[in-house]
Amino acid sequence: MEHTSTLEKILRGTAITLVILFFMFPIFWIFLMSFQTNETILRVPPSIVFEPTLSNYTALITGKLDTAAGTLEISFMKNLWNSLFLSTASVAVGLVLGVPAAYAFARLKFRGSEDIAFTLLSFRFAPPLLVLLPLTIYFQQIGLADTYIGLIWVYQLIVLPLILWIVRGYFEDIPADVEYAYRIAGHSWGATFRKIALPLAGPGIAAAGLLAFIFAWNNFIFALVLASADKQPVTVGALAFVTASGIQYGQVAAGIVLSILPTFALALYAQRYLVEGLSLGAVKG
Amino acid sequence: MSETMLRLENVDKFYGAVGKGVHAVRNINMDVARGEIIALLGSSGCGKTSTLRMIAGFEETSRGKIHLAGREVHRLPPVKRHVAMAFEGYSLYPTVNVRDNIAFALKAARLPQADVDARVNEVAEMLEIGDILGRMPGSISGGQQQRASLARALIRDADLYLLDEPMGQLEPQLRTLLRGRIKHYIKQRGLTAILVTHDQTEANALADRIAVMEGGVLQQYGSPAEIKERPANLFTGTFVGEPPMNVFPVTGSVVGDQLHLDLEGGLDLVYPQSAFAPQVREAIVKRGRVVLGVRPYAVRRSGEGPAARVLANQWLGDQSHIAAAFANGTLVLVEHDRANVDIGAEIRVALDPADLHVFDPESGKAIAHGAELA
Amino acid sequence: MSLQLIDIVKSFKDDVVLDGVSLEVASGETLVLFGPSGAGKTVLLRLIAGVIEPDEGSILINGENMDGVEPEDRGIGMAFQNFALFPHMDARANIASPLTARRESQTGMKRRVEEVAKLLKIDHVLHHKPKELSNGQKQRTALGRALAGEPKILLLDDPLRNVDAKLRFEMRLELPRLLKDQQATVIYVTQDYKEAMALGHRIAVMSGQGIAQIGTPEDIYLAPQNTAIARLFGDPVINLLDVVPERGAEGVQVRLSGTPVPLHQGHAASIGHDCVLGVRPEAIRFVDADAPGSFPVTIEAETPLNEKTVTLAITEKKREILISRPSGTPGPDRGQAHVAIDAGAALLFDRATGNRIAPASAAAKGEPA
Repeated sequence: MEHTSTLEKILRGTAITLVILFFMFPIFWIFLMSFQTNETILRVPPSIVFEPTLSNYTALITGKLDTAAGTLEISFMKNLWNSLFLSTASVAVGLVLGVPAAYAFARLKFRGSEDIAFTLLSFRFAPPLLVLLPLTIYFQQIGLADTYIGLIWVYQLIVLPLILWIVRGYFEDIPADVEYAYRIAGHSWGATFRKIALPLAGPGIAAAGLLAFIFAWNNFIFALVLASADKQPVTVGALAFVTASGIQYGQVAAGIVLSILPTFALALYAQRYLVEGLSLGAVKG
Repeated sequence: MSETMLRLENVDKFYGAVGKGVHAVRNINMDVARGEIIALLGSSGCGKTSTLRMIAGFEETSRGKIHLAGREVHRLPPVKRHVAMAFEGYSLYPTVNVRDNIAFALKAARLPQADVDARVNEVAEMLEIGDILGRMPGSISGGQQQRASLARALIRDADLYLLDEPMGQLEPQLRTLLRGRIKHYIKQRGLTAILVTHDQTEANALADRIAVMEGGVLQQYGSPAEIKERPANLFTGTFVGEPPMNVFPVTGSVVGDQLHLDLEGGLDLVYPQSAFAPQVREAIVKRGRVVLGVRPYAVRRSGEGPAARVLANQWLGDQSHIAAAFANGTLVLVEHDRANVDIGAEIRVALDPADLHVFDPESGKAIAHGAELA
Repeated sequence: MSLQLIDIVKSFKDDVVLDGVSLEVASGETLVLFGPSGAGKTVLLRLIAGVIEPDEGSILINGENMDGVEPEDRGIGMAFQNFALFPHMDARANIASPLTARRESQTGMKRRVEEVAKLLKIDHVLHHKPKELSNGQKQRTALGRALAGEPKILLLDDPLRNVDAKLRFEMRLELPRLLKDQQATVIYVTQDYKEAMALGHRIAVMSGQGIAQIGTPEDIYLAPQNTAIARLFGDPVINLLDVVPERGAEGVQVRLSGTPVPLHQGHAASIGHDCVLGVRPEAIRFVDADAPGSFPVTIEAETPLNEKTVTLAITEKKREILISRPSGTPGPDRGQAHVAIDAGAALLFDRATGNRIAPASAAAKGEPA
């Protein structure tokens, strides 16, 4: 018995190491690249031994990109701020609209509620470009093109269905009796939503918010079409690294590292909520 | 009982690492003879289902040995153990009808169709599901699914039949009826069965011997009468028996030729010394404090004896249950006629030495039982 | 406060659960709703609580129509079968929830919660979250929450179902006092006939889509409306034997194992009709062979049941009968024996309809039919 379990441990450890290596290697490699110059990155054969430099990061932060063809102005920090603002604001709007809607879909089975919920989800099926073409024209006519509000509005196409469907599931998992009990105890419908439904679905709402944030952060096409340079997020801004004198791999890598940091930090922070979310089953006990 | 069908030897179950994880079953030893029906009785989390699943092979036996029909089986996969099991959660095959679900094992054994049909019909009639054999599992009630699952297990040829709460979903009236029929079915064929239940009525009605479990420990293993008359410890004494046994801490002392058992709250039970066997008397006096147990039906109202104030008097048709405040606690009496006592009234009770059980207050182990006191 | 239900109809999709249920519960009364699962007991409670709406009919609390009145405004306390505790609040906050709704003062709230907790013996676990409580403590917390607001109407939905046998028994003895102290009107749902008999001033037996019989425990046990209800009360279950009453030397009688057994003399009208004789197992006694009205049986098996000994015996006509006697009393355990039926306790039912036939003289005296 003891022998098999030791062997089991070794096998399991090896398997986990392999999986981690496979998935983490690109990120690890990019992390190394961000501390190298274009020359060391492109040498053959590649090596993990190099002299680290912070030049990529200083270039991004100061906004001055030195290339063979001269110095370029880039607005990476502005892009990073745009990403942060757009994603946060979109998720905030999405939660404010989506959570009550999710509750309604979970609890009030009105005529056509399933159809409406499905229609909202179906926004995720349409190719974004199909929506974008007419949208661009409308936005230009009503003056929403190239505004933060316009972008946040369009981002709801990504954020809202996600929040709606995830949070709805969490609300449905709360036994109706728990809410009935609170109402019978003398609390109004609104108080029951705030004091019972919201806290109990909290981990689910956090998880949905996090996922929505990541989706919004990684969006490329909406911002590419609808926003000009000063409103662009990092995903679009990264195009600036493809310069006339070639691709600036070092700066791209540093840009990636900087741009995944916020989502990464958020995910780490939210992890405990996600785990709590999985143990929501305790409600039913 | 002659030939041993099943033997558990020092069986342990750990969830997690052996010796470190949750110790769900603790060093169980028990023998089951061929043709016996055994009930594993206990509340949820007592280890009874883990034990059953180790016998079936669905759980790994962490330590110890399991012998079944002369073979060592604890390392074998379930299919090689030659056991049949009815699950608490029914687990029917959802894509075939009830008849094919029940007949599954017989068909796999390539029995002639006529035999299969006859056996399915017989067991289905017995369990009152003869009329739903053509239905799909999804379209029948929980109680019907449970009976179909039971039928599927009972129809098989196996060395041992394992029944996990086989009647948990059934209505009480049906449960009473089926208890008798299932017992008859098992006994008539000389099958050996282990039943897991939390319902002592079911255990008493079906089993030849009951294994009472709590905290992963086998508390007592004996016939229903043995467990009732000679509970091994306070747990078994108060767990088995409905209504549960009354228990009171007392202080024992000898005054002249009388044995005084002082209850809390100033009450005093006085018996002639001769009512107790010398070694029992000695054991009580030596310990000073012991716990006295008396079953509700053995408490009688009588003109003399200590007083109790009636808190409740509930008539259940064929019994009256009376609760009375007594010695800082509550004393429960069962009478078989309708009792005419008002709430708040004072009654006097008699506790016959022949009905007393004496337990050690620290270990909870029984020191002596009723009849052997004298 | 009194409670009145008038012609309540409720269906879910095409499934009619309640079809014209009317019910009146007096102030301070405990009414037990008893019946098998699916009989609509829980639906009825929810209708009274106001969390679902009836399709037709009205609910009156103290004469006031509750149509359109929100659950929080009905002044009701309810305990759920699965407890339905708020998992993110400790026991104290759970119990206090009816008081926070009324914006009671902190000190008043604390005092009331502790009072209720003490009564229910959970004052030492008030700071625990539901998942840290044992099943029994959960059940008491749920009960405490229902009681804390001192509601005048208390709905208890099988509150003892999910607790172990020992605690269930203790609570059964304790609850009547607790409920009496609250002076509340109580509707208590259960599937356990013992709970129903022990706790109810009256019992409403639900079956089909409505109430099959309503009456005191005595009415239901001693004069059940029909064989189905007779079978629901009593453990072991009542013996039902097909008989045809006839005129004998001593008046109306039936034949069991060929032996004449006298019946209540008020059953003269049933002579010659197909009937069912209902005899509770405790109304059959073992007697000597020469005792009057005795008939022979063969004993098949003997099992202990809750301080009773239950004997399964077979009559000469191969009919199974159950006989019960207090544990510890003498009786034969195998072979041939003779038994006699307590004629006064025997019930007669119409075989075609299953309805009970009340003996004539008793009916004249106005006994429940």
